[in-house]
Amino acid sequence: MVNPVLLIVIPLAGAFAIPLFGFISKHISKYIPLIATLGMAVIVGSLIPKVINRPIIVVIGGFKPPFGINLFVSPFSLFFAGIISLLGFLVSVYAIKYVNEGDIDKYHLLFLLFITGATGIALTGDLFNLFVFFEILCISSYALVAYNRDRDGVEAGIKYLIQGSVGASFILIGIAFLYGRCGSLNMADIASQIRHVDSPLLSLTLFLFITGFGVEAAIFPLNGWLPDAHGSAPSTISAVLSGFAIEIGLYSVLRIVFTVLGDTDILHFLAGLGVLTLLIGEISAFKQNDIKRLLAYSSTGQIGLILFAFSLGTTEGIAGGLFHILSHALSKGLLFLAAGYMIYKAGSREIGKMKGLATEMPVTSFCFLVGAFSLVGLPPFIGFPGKFLIIKSALSTNQGYFFVLVGAVLLGTVIEVSYFFKLLQSIFSKTKENKIDEAPLTALIPIVVLAVIVLAVGVYPEVVSGFLHLASADFLDRMGYITNILGAL
Amino acid sequence: MEFLENYLYYIASFGLIFIGLYIMLVKKNLIKIIIGLSIIDTGVNILLISIGYLKEGTVPIFSRDNLLPSRMVDPVPQALVLTAIVIGVAILALALTLTIVLYRHYGTLNVGKIRNLKW
Repeated sequence: MVNPVLLIVIPLAGAFAIPLFGFISKHISKYIPLIATLGMAVIVGSLIPKVINRPIIVVIGGFKPPFGINLFVSPFSLFFAGIISLLGFLVSVYAIKYVNEGDIDKYHLLFLLFITGATGIALTGDLFNLFVFFEILCISSYALVAYNRDRDGVEAGIKYLIQGSVGASFILIGIAFLYGRCGSLNMADIASQIRHVDSPLLSLTLFLFITGFGVEAAIFPLNGWLPDAHGSAPSTISAVLSGFAIEIGLYSVLRIVFTVLGDTDILHFLAGLGVLTLLIGEISAFKQNDIKRLLAYSSTGQIGLILFAFSLGTTEGIAGGLFHILSHALSKGLLFLAAGYMIYKAGSREIGKMKGLATEMPVTSFCFLVGAFSLVGLPPFIGFPGKFLIIKSALSTNQGYFFVLVGAVLLGTVIEVSYFFKLLQSIFSKTKENKIDEAPLTALIPIVVLAVIVLAVGVYPEVVSGFLHLASADFLDRMGYITNILGAL
Repeated sequence: MEFLENYLYYIASFGLIFIGLYIMLVKKNLIKIIIGLSIIDTGVNILLISIGYLKEGTVPIFSRDNLLPSRMVDPVPQALVLTAIVIGVAILALALTLTIVLYRHYGTLNVGKIRNLKW
């Protein structure tokens, strides 16, 4: 059997190999992320059939849980690892030609560290280890946002850094409280002891964790950095930041709320917060003139919807949330990658300057259309089954509170439709006759592959929905999580 | 007095955390904001250490004679703090680097004036 720890080791080793290979040739560095993420994707693929039967627990360094660090590979965490490796691979194909300024070595090194951090968060079963991977993810993304060293990028980077670091300090205080009470850092061990902790301390810890991880997850009052960072970063980085970094932040929030603290009283509050995030994101996106800021605000909206889906707390609702995470990762990755060369050709990020781009770049523009329709939730694209599942399960809870929130979600979708059509209208308007000048092949391949997946999974949602239901059942099974890890003694 | 003796480290650590937060919220100079960040980090580290601390405790070395496990200081928080310090240094270095580049672009460190990105 392949050891799942390779999912973390491969990108980390690749990151350290880049400066070494740099001594031999400067051109090798851009192919290392490609190989590393492809290897990860293969490993994820080979692990899926095994994980469906029972989760794999990897004990690191021979210290059995709860004393040592362990990895917990279940359908839920493997789902995130799969998204990270798939999108990471496609983005590194795109980056071969796209990233051609500055220290290219450093870009690829940071990109691999970014992948390491994200995968580590998804797989780890130890609270402090989670924090360390979280910091790896955050620090590399601060640096990547400021990679171009232009006015906007550096300003966005420092804003992101300051907010993110305060959040990280909050997480560390929360970890200190939990360790002081439970005497353990293992998430399963803390989960089994959490009912002995007095409730004021528990609420304080919950607040600290939601605030801390919420910065990365871009939950409403904490998302001030997101439009700047996603808008000013290089397009490849915007694609991965929107594609899985904020989802990984949300994963951490949900892991803490559902599994470690097991606090379901707060779910109504989180559902309200999610819908508020959705509405504010969509309304802000509506008035944007900058294509990347528009997409960034739309990411905020989508993350709100995903938070709402998870806060329903039912198997079906969480499966819908997972479906939407998949659809958002693919569609938003597609949109940012397509926007990358559209901005390059138009020479500006303003929507008004993109008029008639469809005649110049027909393939890219068509794929952009596919991504936009999918995000809005039109059938037969991947966004439709996800949104449909979320709304269906929200209505089946039979609670008036959720009915009101569903109304707000639908309102948000209407706003979303209007600004995406404004954008598409500008791109597809015929103003001038241009000769065809497409993006290079290394950029077209990932864009087209993403568009094909978006369409294919949208037509046949059964391909993934079985696995997603399994993953959501696995996520809700708190007792199973505890006995699986502590039973390995 | 006894209260102060027992909780001195907690008071100190939360004092530092709140001082740091205050600096970050009130000050306009980017360097001062980063100093505030560093003070928060220090406060959190003291909190972590004091959670595992034992008054007149000994080092946790089992091979030495005359050391009782009940009198040993918990080593785990100290290991955590070591990691947290390293992370803190990395963030501080990156923040100061970005500040230098930012100063070259804008010619000021006043965050009120660095407002290229707004809505």
